[in-house]
Amino acid sequence: MTDTQWPIWEVFHQSSRGEAHVHVGAIHAPDSETALVLAKEQFARRQACVSIWVVPEGAIAATAYEDADIFDHGTDKSYREAFGYETTRRARAVGDRGEA
Amino acid sequence: MGGKELTHVKLDRATTCALIDLLYRLGDDSLLIGHRNSEWTGLGPILEEDIAFSSMAQDKMGHALAYYNMLHELGEGDPDAIAYRRDAAAFRCCTLVTMECFDDDSPGDDDESLCNNPLRDDLVRRGDWALSLVRQYLFSGADAIRAAEMASSSYEPLKHFARKIRGEVKYHTMHDRAMMERLARATDESSRRLQFAVNKLFSHALGMFEPTDFDAALAEAGICPTEAQLGHQWRGQVEAFIDPIGLTLPDATKSTIGGRRGRSDPHLQALLDELQKVHRLDSAATW
Repeated sequence: MTDTQWPIWEVFHQSSRGEAHVHVGAIHAPDSETALVLAKEQFARRQACVSIWVVPEGAIAATAYEDADIFDHGTDKSYREAFGYETTRRARAVGDRGEA
Repeated sequence: MGGKELTHVKLDRATTCALIDLLYRLGDDSLLIGHRNSEWTGLGPILEEDIAFSSMAQDKMGHALAYYNMLHELGEGDPDAIAYRRDAAAFRCCTLVTMECFDDDSPGDDDESLCNNPLRDDLVRRGDWALSLVRQYLFSGADAIRAAEMASSSYEPLKHFARKIRGEVKYHTMHDRAMMERLARATDESSRRLQFAVNKLFSHALGMFEPTDFDAALAEAGICPTEAQLGHQWRGQVEAFIDPIGLTLPDATKSTIGGRRGRSDPHLQALLDELQKVHRLDSAATW
């Protein structure tokens, strides 16, 4: 049976400028302009939004879940974390209240 | 309206009457096109389009409420009374917004299992999406022009409201144009259906700009331009859009008027019977 559905577009939504665009779902549309028009009502009719991206689903390359183990740390990598610098405590100690 | 921007309008009796008539026209158009478009909810041709169309219908309902609230502030009834307790002769909508969108050539299935809500079943059997889409396109272009002009209205509530809805109305025109462009160019059937819709609706669309006795007063007071001026702008936009997508406007069309004076479409009372039914069962009920 031939697929009569329009192609699928993944939709990303940005709640305000400077924030990351967040993946919110997918829609069917014949082209990118229509995808933007339809995505506005599917995914931005309730929450605040300043920008929408639509990406053809085929343009997204993704890792396979069976390879999720590549993200495991074999040995301790806590040196990559930024704790321990105590900048906030030390700044407060010299009177910086964190006001701009 | 050119450069004539008055910051405060003097609301004498004559100007108030003119303003009230304008607000009824704007509110009634909004309420009724919102209602017509909402009839497709759940029945639209594509899921995403059904949702978008229904959502835009909600936008128009919101606009109607705002105009009716402005009327209430000027001494008219409350919005519920205005929406639910007037009969057809008291409405001042154009005939474009109340037209039914049926494909008269379609015999329709006589499927007994569709016997749910007869009006809805009718739409399922022989509703013509092209008519609704083209009607929405013709209307939203006018809506956008009105909002742009009223953004410098001398009547503050109207000015503020027109500025607030600018984005919503812009989206409506974006949606409508995108769909019209694609369907006009897609297949012979889709372009034929769109052309049929344009031919059927155009005289009613011209009726959106039916001249009223209040046009001069409204323009003089800086509240909004005359219907003739608005209609001229709209016509230019429609002509510029329609031709490149391979459609044509009917020539020498007379506009279908009467709606602004309460002599509206014969379907209006049937529409109101449906729209007002629940409220009229018990107007004191709370939800």
